[in-house]
Amino acid sequence: MQRRDFLKGTAVLSLAAAFPSAARAEVVFAPKPGAWRTVELVTKLELDKPEGKMQAWIPLPSVKEDEWMRPGETQWTGNAAKVERVRDPKYGAEMLHVTWKDGESAPVIQVTSRVAMRDRDIDLSKPGKAKSLSDAERKLNLEGTELIPVDGIVKQTSDKIVAAANAKSDIEKARAIYDWVVENTVRVASTRGCGIGDVASMLKSGNLGGKCADLNALYVGLTRAAGVPARDVYGIRVIPSQFGYKSLGAGSANVTKAQHCRAEVFLEGFGWVPVDPADVRKVMLEEPPANLGINDPKVVAARKALFGAWEGNWVAYNTAHDVALPGSSHPKLGFLMYPQAERASLLLDCLDPDKFRYALTATEVKSS
Amino acid sequence: MLLAVFASASLALPAASSPADSSKTGAAALTVWSGSEKPAFSLDTLHGERRDLAALAGKVVLVHFFATWCEPCIREMGSLQRLSEISQDQPLAIVAVDVAEVDLRVRAFFEKRPVDFAVLLDRDRAVSKAWDVTSLPTTFVLDATLAPKLFVEGDLDSHPEILTALQSLYPTAAGRNRTHSAEPGRNQSQQPGYP
Repeated sequence: MQRRDFLKGTAVLSLAAAFPSAARAEVVFAPKPGAWRTVELVTKLELDKPEGKMQAWIPLPSVKEDEWMRPGETQWTGNAAKVERVRDPKYGAEMLHVTWKDGESAPVIQVTSRVAMRDRDIDLSKPGKAKSLSDAERKLNLEGTELIPVDGIVKQTSDKIVAAANAKSDIEKARAIYDWVVENTVRVASTRGCGIGDVASMLKSGNLGGKCADLNALYVGLTRAAGVPARDVYGIRVIPSQFGYKSLGAGSANVTKAQHCRAEVFLEGFGWVPVDPADVRKVMLEEPPANLGINDPKVVAARKALFGAWEGNWVAYNTAHDVALPGSSHPKLGFLMYPQAERASLLLDCLDPDKFRYALTATEVKSS
Repeated sequence: MLLAVFASASLALPAASSPADSSKTGAAALTVWSGSEKPAFSLDTLHGERRDLAALAGKVVLVHFFATWCEPCIREMGSLQRLSEISQDQPLAIVAVDVAEVDLRVRAFFEKRPVDFAVLLDRDRAVSKAWDVTSLPTTFVLDATLAPKLFVEGDLDSHPEILTALQSLYPTAAGRNRTHSAEPGRNQSQQPGYP
């Protein structure tokens, strides 16, 4: 640490001790595009209790964006009979399809991907020159999915939010829906995995609790229903937050349960804009000392930033919905964010990595 | 909880006597069904045995759509089990239909919370779509001819009048005989997987 930085830090500390309100003013959550960071993400899968026909599907980082996400090389080792890199035809989500020979006694595969990423921060004060969506892209990102309908109660709710906020432009609608999701949903610690994302069910039941795949799917559904293109981005947290938000980064190199879904909204002139209302609720629930109020400075800072910015400490897998697993007769998955596998033609519970078994680790690769 | 329902079994369900009335019976949505018939279905049990809804004709059938990720559904499952135990002598069948989950996840769920009624797997949502289920939990109560009579979106627990409603739908002895005569040789109480 530079001496000047150290002195700055001590000054803040002393001030904080003397004047707690001054400490609150120091809360910073401000992702800015800067240096790229590279991680090596390793997925190791060993099928427990091998039996009959066995195959697996491992999501690969397949979102390529020049400004913030550059997937690199993927390599694998193991004892599979066949390994094939396949791509979902509709959304382009990539996965490794792994097949073992029947009766393989210890099926195993280890997949290593390198990914470079950095923060995003879109200046929403004035439109830029971002390219418009093609008609096909616009249609794809406005349509309903199996779990995210854009009619019925989703459309009715969206219309009410937009009308209550008197939102006219796309950016006003997108922000009004963001604020509504932040203010009306709740993160539920007991939700398995990242949730299911059954948006109509959430709205009909009035139970707006869940995790990122629920809360951000709700954002996407309501925004699409308002006629503004939006999409979920499924991925995984890989390194800690550089802003000191424990809840918004990987807690250790073991990221087996660090999957996280973010969202984007497409605003003409700005392009795809990052949003993450689910993480605002996560900060409220988890950031020490926990159960923060919506006006807590840490929450306020995260809420302000997470409409238009996000931190590059997370790897994006894909933006796919209703994903068919090639070679499987199992119905389509709502999304592909966890490793999947079949044993004796039965899909394993991807939310139970210890029984499945799989583990993910992430290590930052320092540039030499 | 449904157990409490049985203490208040004298509660009436006025709308139950007017099945054409689809108005809701209070703030919560216990609704007398006036919509169309629901299509028959055939689904696998937790261990892959095929079961037909049609085999339950002659009983009142409570078809309960749920998922293990749905918190109200988890609470509800215990109540349904108590209803099943208390209704052993009644012509009532409970059928829980899990919507779009991995078999092993549902199996693990019921290993921890065993029930004595049928649990079926709607793996691809085909049945829940055909029945227009858009929210979980959702429950339909069918009469002995398998015609839907009541409909609840959300907690069944919050409807103490459900027991009275079920009782009002139980077929008379004569009615049961007529139903059984249409299916010679069938003994509903011995249908495997349908206690």
